[in-house]
Amino acid sequence: MTLLQVRNLTKNYDGIGILNGVNFSLHEGEIKVVMGPSGCGKTTLLRCLNRLVEPSSGEIIFDDKDITAADVDIRQVRQRIGFVFQNFALYRHLSALENVKLGLRKLRGLSDAEATQRAIYELSHVEMQDHQDKYPAHLSGGQQQRVAIARALAMDPAVLFFDEPTSALDPLMAREIANLLNRLHAEKVTILCVTHDVTLAKNLPGDVLFLNHGHVEAEAPISELMQNHASENVRAFFEEKAPNA
Amino acid sequence: MSESFAFLSDMVDYGPQILNGLINTLLLAGTISVTGLFAGILIFRLTLSENRFIRKSTASYISFFIGTPLIVLLFLMYYGLPQWGIKLSPFAIAAIGFTLNIAAYNSRYLSAAYNGIDQQQLMAASAQGFSSRQIFSLIILPQTLRRAIPGLTNQVALNIKDSSIAFLIQYVDFFAQMQEQASLNFQYLKVYAVTGAIYLLLVSLVIFGSKRLETRYAIPH
Repeated sequence: MTLLQVRNLTKNYDGIGILNGVNFSLHEGEIKVVMGPSGCGKTTLLRCLNRLVEPSSGEIIFDDKDITAADVDIRQVRQRIGFVFQNFALYRHLSALENVKLGLRKLRGLSDAEATQRAIYELSHVEMQDHQDKYPAHLSGGQQQRVAIARALAMDPAVLFFDEPTSALDPLMAREIANLLNRLHAEKVTILCVTHDVTLAKNLPGDVLFLNHGHVEAEAPISELMQNHASENVRAFFEEKAPNA
Repeated sequence: MSESFAFLSDMVDYGPQILNGLINTLLLAGTISVTGLFAGILIFRLTLSENRFIRKSTASYISFFIGTPLIVLLFLMYYGLPQWGIKLSPFAIAAIGFTLNIAAYNSRYLSAAYNGIDQQQLMAASAQGFSSRQIFSLIILPQTLRRAIPGLTNQVALNIKDSSIAFLIQYVDFFAQMQEQASLNFQYLKVYAVTGAIYLLLVSLVIFGSKRLETRYAIPH
């Protein structure tokens, strides 16, 4: 079943087109990777999809409803879309446990005991239960990323968005995050992941949406894109990113 | 020796009035510190408004009150308002005048602290579905308040010292009582030295408390 469908999505800044008619769909339980050269609009696309950035035109059908419509309560929509940021974006004044609890308490309306129980469960899910009382500043990049994922998962999202999940991590931690994404995918979590990390993309099972100059230039498994793809831009990108592949 | 004894004897005799003045000083400083903090938070909140007019108006407010001597504002209210038939007590005038002034400074301390916050946290909160009001009360304010502790508590110390100008609008505070004492026994040097020492003691207590607060509420980094 299609969970997210994007139709002719555009975003202009001062007359300059960042997204120029993006079309794609994401099915329940699917994992899809968005790649493309720097400045191609990957992050803008992700932020348009939950209207952190307002699209200029186009439709975003989420759960059979166009969320670009004026009467949509976008806060309710956002509560169903987990978003994991490039630099983790944990609340610095709260411990790992409190980071996960905050949304459960203030958005879901859970009692403190219920929220604590659920937060501990989600932290265990990402193997962070032993660090629940630590503050973000006392966690490594990979650990912060896991807490950010637990925070997103705690809200029972219909889909998880990842914005460059490995760009701030060393290769070992990046591999751990790739394993975690695969585990989530195995649990039927729907994932849309923006990355420029070819190693990560190769370790994920879904199709790659190749974005260039604000539109989808190709959509296929990464193995196909890396093997003499018809588009010169696609070939050039992968030759530069993974010359020995 | 006898002169020192006479001075101490005068201080003891005048003790109840001095104590009363000290209480008035603490009452005024305490009041304006609390009201100035809340008003400062309000002004700071308005500086983050999405409405351009509100932001501009708030900026004008801050510039006006930081750029205008407080004594002018106090005299304006104390001598000017009665001409319009509005007569307020010296305490009320001092409390209002100081609050308006302190709010401008406190909002600046909070704004400076806000600028140090990683803005992606705010985007993350927005992405999670929090409203702008929730983002302010749950993410922005707890962090800015904690980051601004040095500035805000420094302002409390200033409030204690600056409250002494309220005697110019007939508010009988500690400084006013000590000045009265000096004019009675002509021991200006000793009276003002004691006055300074007591202000120093009060401010030292605030600085001590500030350090404790900073240690307790520091955001780990």
